[in-house]
Amino acid sequence: MTQNGMPNMVMPGDVITREARRAGQNVVLKGDMLVSSKVGRVSVTDDTVSVIGLAGKYVPHIDDLVIGKVISHSGQAWELDINSAYVGFLLATDVFGRDFASHADELSSKLGMGDLVAARVANFDRTRDPLLTIDDRDLGKIDSGVLVRIAPGKIASLIGRQGSMVQTIEKATNAAFTIGQNGLVVISCEGPEELLRAKKAIGVIEREAYLPGLLDKVTASLGSGSR
Amino acid sequence: MGTVSILDGLERKLITDSLDAGRRADGRALDEPRKITIETGTIPKAEGSARVRLGKTEVVTGVKVNPSTPFPDTGDKGALICTAEIAPLAHPDAETGPPSEGVIELARVVDRGIRESHMIDMSKLVIQRDVSVVGVFADNAVLDDCGNLFDACSYASCAAILDAKMPTWEMVDGAPKMVEGASSELPISTIPVSVTMGRIGRHIIVDPDATEWMCMDARITITTNSDGNICALQKGGREGFSFEQLASCADTAIAVGAKIRSTIESSKQRS
Amino acid sequence: MGGRESDLVLLNSDGIRCDGRKIDEPRRISIKAGVLNNANGSAYIEFGDNKILAGVFGPRDVHPKHQSDSNTGILRVRYHMQPYSVPERKRPAPSRREIEISKVIKEALLPAVILESFPRTAVDVYIEILQADGGSRCAALDVAAVALADAGIPMRDMVSACAAGKVADTIVLDINNEEDQAGQADMPIAVMPNSGQITLLQLDGILSTSEYKKCIETGLVGCKLVYELQKKALKERYFGGQGS
Repeated sequence: MTQNGMPNMVMPGDVITREARRAGQNVVLKGDMLVSSKVGRVSVTDDTVSVIGLAGKYVPHIDDLVIGKVISHSGQAWELDINSAYVGFLLATDVFGRDFASHADELSSKLGMGDLVAARVANFDRTRDPLLTIDDRDLGKIDSGVLVRIAPGKIASLIGRQGSMVQTIEKATNAAFTIGQNGLVVISCEGPEELLRAKKAIGVIEREAYLPGLLDKVTASLGSGSR
Repeated sequence: MGTVSILDGLERKLITDSLDAGRRADGRALDEPRKITIETGTIPKAEGSARVRLGKTEVVTGVKVNPSTPFPDTGDKGALICTAEIAPLAHPDAETGPPSEGVIELARVVDRGIRESHMIDMSKLVIQRDVSVVGVFADNAVLDDCGNLFDACSYASCAAILDAKMPTWEMVDGAPKMVEGASSELPISTIPVSVTMGRIGRHIIVDPDATEWMCMDARITITTNSDGNICALQKGGREGFSFEQLASCADTAIAVGAKIRSTIESSKQRS
Repeated sequence: MGGRESDLVLLNSDGIRCDGRKIDEPRRISIKAGVLNNANGSAYIEFGDNKILAGVFGPRDVHPKHQSDSNTGILRVRYHMQPYSVPERKRPAPSRREIEISKVIKEALLPAVILESFPRTAVDVYIEILQADGGSRCAALDVAAVALADAGIPMRDMVSACAAGKVADTIVLDINNEEDQAGQADMPIAVMPNSGQITLLQLDGILSTSEYKKCIETGLVGCKLVYELQKKALKERYFGGQGS
């Protein structure tokens, strides 16, 4: 028990509190009780009780950076697998500009099947599939690096407070991380040795994201592989 | 369902770049299969059973041994039926409903290896000639599809057949009746071992994993028996092999197969 | 329920059942979450001699498209027995029994899953019976619920199932295969343990109204035991065995 007598780790159906609070993400109101709908950690901010789900697919949020894989395209848009319940759409006009003409510009000349793309969620609601954009700095096709997957619910742990966790790993392995909120991470680094250590550090986070002292454990795992 | 997974560009590049540098993306040698673990007797209620893990691929095979009516022209032999299915929980692309052509090929290749090697001496599975024979059913269920189902199912079938206990039947009033407390092993004459190899560009690799499988130009499954002879073949994929490549594949299948055969044999001794 | 004459002593004078259990004692149950590589969620259960694997995919695109609902996600369940799971080899195609069980399991899970937030998608639950024993539908439901939680599908509550029945004129918990064959009644029950809603209830056999009530009460005790084991499996997977 932590946080005002509320449980820290919960399962679907677990009662979190009977106090009058607002039900946030992954929390349902049942009578006078707030009940968790997922396996996860309880998080209380102001008046809202939420559960950070540790399992499951990515749920898109506007402005999130995601990494998608091109799985199909029509004459007007690419379809990207973003590890979500829904396929993400990247409009041809977003890539070619407003005066895009479908007969003149062949979509596959820009992005082909299997290409990985760093994109931002531009729009999403329950009636429409997520709309993606690459119209910003550092967005677009990813040409090099190695793709690693982690549960979307553990991305916050990978980033750490003000980016402390990912910076620690990057510094120790001389690698650059591109982190998609959807659980896809691209690691770019010098050699296979560094890659292995970076992957190992991510493995520690995947397994132990819920336990205290995570940064120390990750630091230890980074140290053990070097020299 | 109705979807087909697409390999991402970075992974494809990693696989081909590694091969050009003389190794594989997961660190294996080109002729090195993934780790094989075999447990037998996993389904105690079946006459024989085995759970095989080939890397992350997992198969559970059960063997049922029942009296059956022989076909009119083979009344002097027992019956063997070997099936395979990819359970829909094994992969997001796996489908419910009637088996796809890929699944039917899988079942037939596994069946052919066991049948054509004469692994089981079918002439010893006769209860009464032309009236009642012993039917051996080996049903393979792929529970986790992480590449190379041909070999995983073939090893699981062999291990489950070796594990099987055959009841004894006698004819009473024209029908087979089980004799209580009397059972024996199936009459085994050889252990067939398949080795599946993939060609990616000019490289030939043994036991492709899920991602290598998606990069393959062509594949060949070569099944050898305990004497080191070739007893079944299946070439697949959209491209071909040269004669020289096929000759070297046979040598690889015999050498790699011999090691795997001893793994399968020792699974029986443990149980 | 056959109620057949047999040599088997279903309940002896000391109140011990044919497999050595007391009347209120369940069989051995173990559950493990997260056992498959490709499914979004998975779990494995051994419940007596039942050995059952469940895998969940989704929420994902619906094929065929006409099943898709623009207001909500849909749940699909397939209960399937391996040919070698039963004494007499079963043909691989789904039987009428498997189709009915798939439906009652789906309807037992539906009140718990929250699919309104995933319109136009499907959640697929695939259950493979590797070895069947008495009470396989309850065990299948128990493992499916854990696999759903492991897939991160939002749920109002868990769903926990266990059967009760009548053997030698006595209401007993968790009927095994022999008791199913030779006993007088078999009643599978599933409940959402926190809300108390009963979401699956079937009966084969004859009970008086007082026996009927006693049977439900007995089954619910079993469901509670199962619920603790479901939570334990998820804790081991996600919290290293610690927590709530």
